[in-house]
Amino acid sequence: MGFFLRRRAPRTDLAGLGDTLVAHACETGDVAPAGTTLLVFGANGQARRQLAGKVALAEAERAWCFHPGPYTLTLLPFAAAPEWGLQLKVVVDAANPRVAQQRFDLFLYSEVAQGLALVQLQERLQAALQLALAQGVLELAPCTTLEEWHAFRAGFNQLLYTRFGLTVDDCVPIDLAPQADYAAQLRARAVPVPVPTFNPIAGMPAEAPAHVAAAASAVSAVSAVSAIAASHVRPDAQADARGLRRLFLELPALSSGLRLLEVPAGADAFAAHQALLLRLGMASLNVQSMPTLGWSAPDQALPLVQQQRRIGHTLLSLQALDEGWSLLAQWQRSGNDTSAWRLLHDQADRVCANLETGLAGRRQPYPPEQEDGA
Amino acid sequence: MSGISHPRLPDYAVCRSVLADGRLLTITASRRARGNRADVKCHVAAAPALALRMQQVVRMARLTEALLDSRDQVLLSMDPAPNARERDWELAAVLADRMVRGLYAAAPGAEQALLALGWSDAWHLGRVEGEPLQAQRIAMAHLAPDGVLVLGGQVRSDAGEPDVSGARCSVIGHLGALHGHADLADCVASVRSWFPLYCGGSQDSLAWLEVSVFPLAAGTVPASEEDSIAAPQLDPARLQALRQTLCAARHFDGHGLGRWRTLVRFSQPEFQGNSYELALVMADRMARGREFLPRGRLIATGQSSAWHAGLVEAVDGQQAKLALIARQAGAGDRILLPAGWAAALPAGYVAGLRQRGASLACIERIGMI
Repeated sequence: MGFFLRRRAPRTDLAGLGDTLVAHACETGDVAPAGTTLLVFGANGQARRQLAGKVALAEAERAWCFHPGPYTLTLLPFAAAPEWGLQLKVVVDAANPRVAQQRFDLFLYSEVAQGLALVQLQERLQAALQLALAQGVLELAPCTTLEEWHAFRAGFNQLLYTRFGLTVDDCVPIDLAPQADYAAQLRARAVPVPVPTFNPIAGMPAEAPAHVAAAASAVSAVSAVSAIAASHVRPDAQADARGLRRLFLELPALSSGLRLLEVPAGADAFAAHQALLLRLGMASLNVQSMPTLGWSAPDQALPLVQQQRRIGHTLLSLQALDEGWSLLAQWQRSGNDTSAWRLLHDQADRVCANLETGLAGRRQPYPPEQEDGA
Repeated sequence: MSGISHPRLPDYAVCRSVLADGRLLTITASRRARGNRADVKCHVAAAPALALRMQQVVRMARLTEALLDSRDQVLLSMDPAPNARERDWELAAVLADRMVRGLYAAAPGAEQALLALGWSDAWHLGRVEGEPLQAQRIAMAHLAPDGVLVLGGQVRSDAGEPDVSGARCSVIGHLGALHGHADLADCVASVRSWFPLYCGGSQDSLAWLEVSVFPLAAGTVPASEEDSIAAPQLDPARLQALRQTLCAARHFDGHGLGRWRTLVRFSQPEFQGNSYELALVMADRMARGREFLPRGRLIATGQSSAWHAGLVEAVDGQQAKLALIARQAGAGDRILLPAGWAAALPAGYVAGLRQRGASLACIERIGMI
């Protein structure tokens, strides 16, 4: 009986799709332009891809419309080398029929609230690249030889596919010189900027305060950690909610990715892998039962300082999650070679420990009392 | 815990500092499983406030690291306790914390003889401050013959100050400088690279050189590229050779000429030969932001008669230099050798370096691939 309802003109502006816009949320009545794909998430989080056309959503369904590309992006692998970049051509591939959930769909569902502009995608890819390089996951050293370049490409392709669901069509190093002028950037730095001050909060872990880490990017040689944090420079309750949503949605997906790996022969490797999956499962359970940010107990508000500490711990867990995806990408490439497996398991142990530390800190309303600062 | 490779970590690390009254202060760091405890625990006999301050310093300095590991607890202790106003021990605490986790390593042989003086109000930004000249005066008395001295602060040796740097002493203005990286907040880009200095004996060492590039004021063009390059430690003949090398390499670069004023400093200027040229050219490219960067140090040896074409040629002393590099390379280091050496590398040399987290390339020409 929709005949009598007033027809609403399509409100969402989808004009930039495929050009400056990668994906955007849609509502009933919008028309997805030709060449794009419509992605509808049911109330249970199951996704289905549809051909472009008019959007009709049932109750509690959400939809995104994305253009598969190709998109051309310029990434800066090192903050201290602004004249040397990578030019990237990425596409969103057709759905892989062998997996239950496409990684790109999960990426949109868990990380994109409304729209994903090309610039935002570029920032995310660059942050992932810089983090991988700073941590030594990928190597892009001075005077890279051809074999090293191929190894980098393979690792980077896998990282983008596992972390974002994007396929790299082409990636070449480029000279950004006439546009990016390092000398001019240095001249601009000569103008003094106020130093951000840092007042440590009692019980705040050294790892946690992301806004401080963001400030550190101005100076330190390793900027990747802070580049991630830079997207939410002043962490607020929203950052906490977004972070927990990501952990809630992505931890099970990460576990199922790890479950599919081929374990090397031997009881040790099998047991270690089981233990890892169990830890991730427990972390996922931990997230699902996470207490609210603003309350220390029912009807007892938590001081703002402690809320900040909790948000810091959420961001810490979030970083562990990102490292978990990068670890999965490495694992998918390394096959079941025993020595590489052992090294990666050591890293997995580290990531799990960070995740557990972050979640435990997020759960507690007040930092635990420790004897003489131990 | 640095990167993918998992080098053996030391059980404990020692870093020393010197108090204003000339007494030696020792900071010892050790690791143990964390087991639900704080990430850093500090102990100073009869000075709990100082222990808290040390914990704060170490935690803030950790914010500049890329890789977080919450599996271990680091215990730090300081002896004797300095008075509350003294702060030069802070750098020693930060270095001890990094050494015990394998993020920084003093040269082999000098692990027990590292002296550090420096402090900072902005450890979370990686800044290090201090009075290098004064600090060196009080610290030299305690420096062992094979020791290494790290001082916080800035040295502008073009400002006529005496240069306190040397083979065993380095001045750092920020923590990244430990690996020769440029300071991302400074308006001067200074990059260090290392080259093997071989003199056929126990004095073999890795020497460093530092290229600092200052942007020219917008619109100015230098009279000649060669005049814009200075190296106050060198005699005129060697300075001329250095200038020609850099100019030719920048010519090869394409966008290098006419934009910078350059200052080159050496850890020890008295040496023979041209094998430092590759290290110089690479440091210059990295300082100007036109090269990918290593995670650790860049160690290079090589020369060329045709830098304007970017070619790299072999140098003498191959076996001794290879042995020296194999001893000194650490996690994240990048080693560049001339292509001619590739055939003569000892068996297992590359694999051995990779095991320790360093990467090696024998290159025919500089630049990408």
